[in-house]
Amino acid sequence: MSAHLERIAFRAVGTDCSAAVTAGGADLRRARRALTAAHAEVAACEAALSRFDPSSDLSRLNRDAGSWVAVDVRLVEALRLALHARVATRGRFDPTVLPALVAAGYDRSFELLEERPPRQTDGWRAGAAVEVDEHGVRARIDAGAALDLGGIGKGYAAARALEAMRDAWPSLPGALVDLGGDLALWGSTPEGGPWRIDVLDPRSPGATAGRLLLSGGGVATSGRDVRRFGPGRSLHHLIDPATGEPAKPGPLAVTVVAGHAAEAEAHATALAISSPADARAHVVANPQIAALVVPHVGEPFGLGALPLARTRVLVRAA
Amino acid sequence: MQRIWSVVLSVWAMLAIVAVLAWSHRPAPAPPPQAAARTIVVQTPNGKRQFVVVQPAALGASHATTQTSGVPR
Repeated sequence: MSAHLERIAFRAVGTDCSAAVTAGGADLRRARRALTAAHAEVAACEAALSRFDPSSDLSRLNRDAGSWVAVDVRLVEALRLALHARVATRGRFDPTVLPALVAAGYDRSFELLEERPPRQTDGWRAGAAVEVDEHGVRARIDAGAALDLGGIGKGYAAARALEAMRDAWPSLPGALVDLGGDLALWGSTPEGGPWRIDVLDPRSPGATAGRLLLSGGGVATSGRDVRRFGPGRSLHHLIDPATGEPAKPGPLAVTVVAGHAAEAEAHATALAISSPADARAHVVANPQIAALVVPHVGEPFGLGALPLARTRVLVRAA
Repeated sequence: MQRIWSVVLSVWAMLAIVAVLAWSHRPAPAPPPQAAARTIVVQTPNGKRQFVVVQPAALGASHATTQTSGVPR
């Protein structure tokens, strides 16, 4: 029997999620075991990383700011990646933006938000200290600081879920995890080629801004086209760490391709608050990533070695 | 008589060599048919037309889409 895509869909991390594996007819049991492992891993990541769950490891760390807190290994690993991304993005991605995000009005899960004007951040500054003890599996943040992993958590969870699938079925030929559009993928499709990922164009429903062909790594999209709130829905959740307010510069949406889904999401967050010139300089400084930028006005444009399906233009006719 | 036998043996030896060579130089099986690259015409917003080659792997339905994640419930 020829290979097919075995898939599950579920709700997690506040969005629609799915996982899929390439499986032959004789692989059904292994495929389902892998998909169950992926679902369980996403749930475990949410239990560790959610700021909306008061019992999560992240919420405990935020409540006990200033002290060492024993946390789940997933939070330790996610913090290590977040700190690395803070350096790589020169502070445009910063997990310590939570006080500014709350002051802007994003102080509870999105569906529960009430319309209120933003508050002042009372002298909040980005770059608070975050210490990670990987051997002791614990972490500590500055007193008064608070973390939000919204700019990296879904990508991290997707990559973990992919690894869980490969652990459950070591010889699986290919797999993909999709957490609300942030993707981790590996291997080949049932047709034997790369995974075909369409980048949706937020300016025209149903249209795509490009098609990516990938055999591994991660893809993530960030933008100000969806999560808007506040008076007249004038605010968005992308905080500029330099100002502590919803960012003014930046495209409508940006999709990043990287070797790891968490890296893709963190860089997408950073590029979503960058001007076109800054975005170009950012990708030049980080050649391991590539980006597809959808501006408010004008054609989408690519930065870096973007694995787009279109290969070359033969003729350009007036 | 001896000469006849040597001729027969030589013929058989030659046939054996030819058979071995034929066996070891079999033509490779034909590769499975590949989907051909396709050329499509793209109309840009400013009215220009572009002829674009699309890789075979790019054809077909997408396996997933990426976008800013939806509003949570």
